[in-house]
Amino acid sequence: MATVNEHTPNSNAPEEVIKINDLHKAFGDNKVINGFNFNLKRGENAVVLGKSGSGKSVLIKLIIGLMKPDQGSIEVLGDKVETLSTSELDKMRVKVGFLFQSNALYDSMTIRENLEFPLRRHWIKKSTNKNEVDNLVMEALTNVGLPHTVDMMPSELSGGMRKRIALARTLILKPEIILYDEPTTGLDPITGKEISHLMLDLQKKYNTSSIIISHDINCVKIVANRIVMLIDGKCYATGTYDELEHSTDLRVKQFFE
Amino acid sequence: MIKNIFIEIGLIARFTGRFFIEVFKPRFEFNEFLRQCFYIGNKSFPLVAITAFIMGLVITMQSRPTLVEFGAQAWLPKMISVSLVREIAPVITALICAGKIGSGIGAELGSMKVTEQIDAMDVSGTNPYKFLVVTRVMATTLMIPILAILADTISLYGGYLGCNIHGVVSWDLFWNQVFDTLVYADVLPSILKTFFFGFIIGIIGCYQGFNSSKGTEGVGQSANSAVVISSLLVFIIDLLAVQITDALNLN
Ligand SMILES: Nc1ncnc2c1ncn2[C@@H]1O[C@H](COP(=O)(O)OP(=O)(O)OP(=O)(O)O)[C@@H](O)[C@H]1O
Ligand SMILES: [Mg+2]
Repeated sequence: MATVNEHTPNSNAPEEVIKINDLHKAFGDNKVINGFNFNLKRGENAVVLGKSGSGKSVLIKLIIGLMKPDQGSIEVLGDKVETLSTSELDKMRVKVGFLFQSNALYDSMTIRENLEFPLRRHWIKKSTNKNEVDNLVMEALTNVGLPHTVDMMPSELSGGMRKRIALARTLILKPEIILYDEPTTGLDPITGKEISHLMLDLQKKYNTSSIIISHDINCVKIVANRIVMLIDGKCYATGTYDELEHSTDLRVKQFFE
Repeated sequence: MIKNIFIEIGLIARFTGRFFIEVFKPRFEFNEFLRQCFYIGNKSFPLVAITAFIMGLVITMQSRPTLVEFGAQAWLPKMISVSLVREIAPVITALICAGKIGSGIGAELGSMKVTEQIDAMDVSGTNPYKFLVVTRVMATTLMIPILAILADTISLYGGYLGCNIHGVVSWDLFWNQVFDTLVYADVLPSILKTFFFGFIIGIIGCYQGFNSSKGTEGVGQSANSAVVISSLLVFIIDLLAVQITDALNLN
């Protein structure tokens, strides 16, 4: 059967898009990440599961270079994050999208300006053509089903709508990898499910790989190809949903009850 | 306690040092700078104007009886012009801006910090320090002197009305006296120090916002500390300024 591997846009791209090796990060005496190892394959949706305060947000902020690790290495699309200069980091961040836990929509800007911000500011992919920018904004908003909000302010939207807008803003640069920080937390179960399905649809449409931070077991069930348990700052267990659901380990089991 | 104060001073010094590094690096956020200038002027001018007018009027009315005692009420414009221009108008402007602009910056950047908007700028190819801090500090450093000059003028006008409540001083006579009295040594140092006031208000507001702790409580605290610390520093700069002009024989 001759199938073209649709997940590899360029032939020399590594099969493992993120490689994390023996990662350590502490705040004072608080050792948050303590010897974490993990690889993300191209096209994979990996969920990182962990209790509140276990360092999940810290983990993905280390990946995108918002924090510096104390020890260990992170390779994203072949670049070692901790050695990148500011401009190299910017280049990397065009290819890696980040959905913030608190959405991080700019309060003082309209939805349109929010979506234009990464387009206009990223000097690597800078688009100045007004028409092109408008089209991208409308495409992104249509993707999340909210084209009519384009001239509203973030404060006028509901929590679920804000999450969708944040998702649209993350996707507007067409990243290869997306890091989601608790995409469904704070939403009702129905909206949470909608967002999970939306993530999955967009993932298929744009062929992205992703790391999804969550402790919402419904979302995990929908999106995960593989689950990583972050406990005590380590990769405590890994496997598919079914494998971990039937685990006999107490600390794993408690997430699935 | 004492140790914490020194740590805080060290952190503020480092934050300020970063300003002087980033301000000269290219990609100048000119639009954001203009937006901030407009915002600051627009937001504080009415309050500064009203306060300056009232201070001019009140100081004049209160100084009058003492001068009358010595039969020197003709000196009234001379006396009030020095105190208004050298001290009262600049300090009042700075304090009002510390309350209005400083707390505004502290609260705005604080809430941007806790809702991860600052991190979001960082991952969108924008240096948040340049985009948010440098523009705001430049704007306060430029706008507070301008507001102070307007406050000088308005408070002198208040003084003119004050002179005319119990006596008669013609418009021309008043301004002639004012301009005869005021020399460069009065005006220049007083304007110069307002640049420092502006800088301090901007940098402290931004520092507090950038270091806001999680939650709405943290944001409120940032706004509050921004006002308290920058008002205190305004007085300290004022004290230093008077020592310097004194040493240079300009008082
Ligand atoms: N900038 C920071 N400075 C100091 N400590 C921090 C910082 N960021 C995170 N921490 C600490 O690291 C730990 C993990 O925080 P993190 O935000 O990663 O948790 P989380 O797993 O994302 O939790 P949640 O599910 O509630 O979002 C916490 O104990 C927190 O106090
Ligand atoms: Mg988190």
